[in-house]
Amino acid sequence: MVNRTPVIAIIGAGIAGLEAARQLNDLGYKPILIEKAPVTGGHVAEWNRLFPDMSPAADLVQSLESQTAKVRTMTGTEIASINRLKDGYSLILSDGETLVCEAVLFATGFHLFDASKKEEYGYGIYEKVITNRDLEQWFNTRHDPRIGHPKAVGFVHCVGSRDVKAGNTQCSKVCCITAIKQAIEIKEEFPEAEVYCFYMDLRLFGKKYEDFYIKAQRDCGIHFIRGRVSEVGEAIDGRVVVKAEDTLSGKPVKVTLDLLVLMAGIICNSDAQHYAQQVGVAVDDDGFLKSRDNVGAIVESSRPGIFFAGACTGAKTVPETLAEARSAALAIHRYFSKRG
Amino acid sequence: MDFGFKLNPSSAVNLDTVDRARYDRLVQLEPDALTCIGCGSCSATCTAAPWSGMSVRKVILGLQRGQDDEVDSMLSRCMLCGKCTMVCPRGINTRHLILTLCRLNRKGEIVR
Amino acid sequence: MRERFANHFDPFVIPFLVGMAFVLGYYLIGMIRVILQLPKADRKRFLLTLITPKYIWMNIRDIFLNCLIHVKLWKRNRVLGYMHSSIAFGWFMIILLGHLEVILFVPERIHLFYYPIFFNYFVAETEQTIQGSLLMFLMDFFLLMILSGIAIAIIKRFASRIVGMRRTTRLSLLDQVGLYSLWSIFPLRLLAESFTAHISGGSFLTIPANWIFRQFLGNDLNALPTWWAYSIALGVFMCVLPFTRYMHIPAEMLLIPMRNAGIRIRHPRKGFALLEVYSCPACGVCIDACPMSVRKVNCKDATVYLNRQLRRGNERRIEEISDKCLLCGKCTAVCQVGVQGPELRMAQRARRKYALSPSYSGINVRPMAAAVAHGAGGDSGGVLYFAGCMTKLTPSIRRATTSLLDKAGVRWQMMDPEEGLCCGRPLMMAGRSEQARELIAKNAEIIRASGCDTLLLSCPICYKIFKEEYRLDGIRVVHHSVFFEELIEAGRLKVRRNGDLKLVYHDPCELGRGCGVYEEPRKALAAAGELVEAGKHHAESICCGGSLGSLTLGFEQRRPMTQNALDNLTVADPDQIVTACPLCFSTFVHAADRPVRDIAEILDSQS
Repeated sequence: MVNRTPVIAIIGAGIAGLEAARQLNDLGYKPILIEKAPVTGGHVAEWNRLFPDMSPAADLVQSLESQTAKVRTMTGTEIASINRLKDGYSLILSDGETLVCEAVLFATGFHLFDASKKEEYGYGIYEKVITNRDLEQWFNTRHDPRIGHPKAVGFVHCVGSRDVKAGNTQCSKVCCITAIKQAIEIKEEFPEAEVYCFYMDLRLFGKKYEDFYIKAQRDCGIHFIRGRVSEVGEAIDGRVVVKAEDTLSGKPVKVTLDLLVLMAGIICNSDAQHYAQQVGVAVDDDGFLKSRDNVGAIVESSRPGIFFAGACTGAKTVPETLAEARSAALAIHRYFSKRG
Repeated sequence: MDFGFKLNPSSAVNLDTVDRARYDRLVQLEPDALTCIGCGSCSATCTAAPWSGMSVRKVILGLQRGQDDEVDSMLSRCMLCGKCTMVCPRGINTRHLILTLCRLNRKGEIVR
Repeated sequence: MRERFANHFDPFVIPFLVGMAFVLGYYLIGMIRVILQLPKADRKRFLLTLITPKYIWMNIRDIFLNCLIHVKLWKRNRVLGYMHSSIAFGWFMIILLGHLEVILFVPERIHLFYYPIFFNYFVAETEQTIQGSLLMFLMDFFLLMILSGIAIAIIKRFASRIVGMRRTTRLSLLDQVGLYSLWSIFPLRLLAESFTAHISGGSFLTIPANWIFRQFLGNDLNALPTWWAYSIALGVFMCVLPFTRYMHIPAEMLLIPMRNAGIRIRHPRKGFALLEVYSCPACGVCIDACPMSVRKVNCKDATVYLNRQLRRGNERRIEEISDKCLLCGKCTAVCQVGVQGPELRMAQRARRKYALSPSYSGINVRPMAAAVAHGAGGDSGGVLYFAGCMTKLTPSIRRATTSLLDKAGVRWQMMDPEEGLCCGRPLMMAGRSEQARELIAKNAEIIRASGCDTLLLSCPICYKIFKEEYRLDGIRVVHHSVFFEELIEAGRLKVRRNGDLKLVYHDPCELGRGCGVYEEPRKALAAAGELVEAGKHHAESICCGGSLGSLTLGFEQRRPMTQNALDNLTVADPDQIVTACPLCFSTFVHAADRPVRDIAEILDSQS
C-alpha cells in the first residue's frame, strides 16, 4: 500500500455515512460505503418530517445521496469479517469481495428497540398499538389499516429507554421531541382527536424544541400526563385501555384510546458490537461503541484507523449526527496528514 | 359548626424539621430506593391500589417528606404480589423495600 | 476357635467404648427432644405409625434403600452412589458379620459391646472351618469395598470434578476431624487385622498383608498399637460425630419414619426441621443444583450452608440465606436425604417480627363477587378464569387463553376483568401466611359466588396456592396447560402440528417441582410442533431467576441466573422457548435470543 489514495471503508450508509463520505470525497480520499440494506439513508429515509423545521426527511436524504453519487456505494452488502492488517484493515464482504482499506469509519447507527419486548404494552398483540416508526411510515404512505380515524390517541415515551428491564438504561434523547412532533402532526391530521402524551420526564434540550412544546400545549391542546404507562388492556370494542399514574395529582388514571403510539427508543446496533469485537474496539457499558474520549474525541476510537460517526456511540439527533460525520471526516484527514 | 370557611394548619412540608430516620435506615437496607425516578409505574399497576392508594413511589417520597401516617396506611394493604417489581424501569426490588419498611418502626429501628 | 484372653478385655477398647456411649447417649437424648418438640397432633400421628405394620415395613425398606444403598444418589451419579453405598453398606455388613461371628463362635460374649468390632483380636482361629473362612472372606470383601469407597472419597475431596461435581462443600474444622478419622478407621482396621492374621486367621486381604509385614516387622508386639489406633479412630469419630455432618447417619434413620408419617416443618428450628438440618450430609449436591450458584458469591447460600448455619445458630447468615433463596425447590429435588430447603426458609421467614402488618379485612369483595355471579347469569357450572396479577402484565397470555376457551366452546367468564386480589402465594413465600389466609378467604368468597365448577389459572404461582390452600368444595382447580391438553385429547380443540417448529418447554418451578405437572404441557406442545428437551428438565429444570421466592435478590443479581437458564434451554437449538408461567415468560422475554411464548400462545396460533 504505497502512496495510493487512502481508502476509507464506511460501514453504514445512513445519514452519518453519507455525510462523512461526501466530506472525505471532497478532501480527496476514496471512501467506500458499505450498506446492509438495499437502499441508503438508514432510519432517516423511513421518516417523514424532521424537527425542528418540519423539513421533509426525503429532501435531506436525497441531497446527501446526490452529493455522494460518485462515491462507490455497495448496498445489500454485509460484512462477514474485519481483520487488522499492518497499517490498515481488510473487510471480507458477503459477496465474496475483500476490501483493503487504510481506515474504517463506523457509521453503523442504531437499532430501534423492538417494542414487542415490552409485552405489557401489547405491541403485536393489540391491533391499535403501533410504534413511532409505524406512524412515520403512515405519514409517508398513508396506508396502515390500524390507524383509521382515531378520536383518542396516546403516546408512550421511553419505550425501551431508561429501562433496566429492557436492557437500556440510557435516555434515547430524540423520543420526547419526536413524540411531541408526532402528536402535533396527529392533531393536525385529526383535529377532533384527544391526544395524550405519557412521559416520565420531558427532555426538550435542542434548538426550538421548547417551541414545539408550547405549540403542543397552547395550539394543539395536547394533554401531558407525567406518568409511565404500566399496563395496556383491551376494551370489548377493540380499543385499548391505558393505565398509568398521573404522578402530579398522585392519582391513577385510565383512558380508552383508539390508537396508542409507542416511542421505541434507540439501542445499540448489535452488528456494530460484533465488528468492534473483531477489530478490538471497546464497547461501552451502555452497549454503544466506546470513544477514545467522550468530551474531546467522540469520533475517535482507541485504535488507530478506526473512527466513529453518529449513533453508533450513543443516541443522537439528525443535526448532531451530521456534525459528527463532518467531524469524523476531519479526524480521518488529520490522521492521514500526520502519517504523511 | 359551619363557619362557611375552614381553618387549616399549614400543609407545607418543612424540610428543616422532617424526621427522615425511617427513610435513612431504609436506604441503608435497600439502597435501590435511592434510584426511584417517580415514574408512577408501580402505582398504576398496583393490585392493592384501588383499596389503599398504595404506591411505592409515594411511599418513598412520603418517607422523605415526613408523611408517616400516609405511608403506613398505604403499606397496610400491600399484597406483595410483585407487579411493581416487574414494571419498575429502574429494577428496584420493591418487594424487599416494602418488607424492609414493614420491619422498621417510626424511629427507623428494626423490630425484634 | 479359641479365645485368646481369659479376661476378655484389653484397655485398647476403651476409646471405642467411650465414643460409643457418647454417641448413643447423644442420639437418644436428641431423638427424644425432636419428638417432644413436635406439635401434639404430629407427635401422636408419628408414634402411631411406629406401631402400624404398613409403616414399619415402609420405614425398614426406606431406611435400607436410602441410608445403606443410597438409591437416590446412584440414580444421580454412579460414582458418588458407589462411594456412599460402599462405605455405608460395607460398614453395616462388617458390623453385622462381626455380630454373627460372636453369635456363632462365642455366643456367651454377645453382651460385650466391643467383641463384634474387635473379634479378631480376642478370638483366634485354631482350625480352618468352611463357616469360619467364609466369614473371614466376607469380612475382607466388605473391608475392600469400604476401602475402595474411601479411595474415591479422597479423590473427590481433592478433585471433585473427576466424580462429576463442579463444587463441593468447604468443611468446617470439626468436619475435617470427623472426615479424617473416618478415613483412617478402615485402613487401620486392615492393618490391625493383618498384624493378627497369622494368629486369628484372615482372608485374601489380611493374610497376604500379614505375610508382607512379617517379612520386615516380624514382631507380634506391633499388633497391639494398631488395634489401639483402630479403636482410637473409632472413638474419635464417634465423639465428634454429633458435631459434624456425620450426624446425618443417625438423624436420617429418624427422619425417614417421620417423613413417612407425613410430618411437616412447622418451626424452622424445632422438631422435624431440626431433624432435616441434622440429616444433611453436607454432600454439596445442592450447590451445583442451585440456580443462584452461577454467581460465585451465591454458592454460600445453598441449602447445605443454611443447614450448617442453622446448626451453628449464626442468625445473621441464617436470615440472609433464608431471604435470598428463589424457593425454586431444586435443592430438594436433587437432595438424597430430601432436605426441604424452601420450606425451612419459609418457616424461618415466618418467624420474623414486623412493626407493620397489612390487613385486608377492609376490602369489600362483594361487588366483585356480584359481578361474577351476575356474569354467569346465575347458572352453575362453567369455567372461571383467574388471570392473576402477573398475567395482567402479559396480555398475550390472557388473550390466547380466552381465545382457546372460545375455540373449544367452553362456557367461561373472567374472575378479574378489572381489579382482582392477589392469590396469596407471594405473601406465603414471604412467610406472611396469616395475611395470605385473609386473601384466601376473600378470593374463595368470589369463586364460590360465581357458581363455577372449574377454576382455571394461567399462572402456576396462583395454581399452587389455589390447589393446596384453598378449600373450594368440589370446584376443580386446573392450570391452563393441563386444561388445554385435556381439550385436545377430547377432540374439542383441534391443533395443527407444524413439524418444522422446534419448541423447548421450560418447566416453571411452581408448576413442575411445585405441583408435579410435567407431562401434560409436553403432550400439548407435541401436538403443535416438534418438542425438544433442555439440558436439564423436568424436576431438574433451572429457575428463570424471576421467582417471587427471593426477597432480597435484585434485578442485576438475577440476570446471570436468567442467562444460565436460557443457555440450558437452548442446548437443542429450538426455534422458540415455551413456558407456562407469566413470570418466567416476562423474565425470559428480554434476555432471550429467540422468541419466548406461553403454551397458550403456541396452541392458539396452531389451532
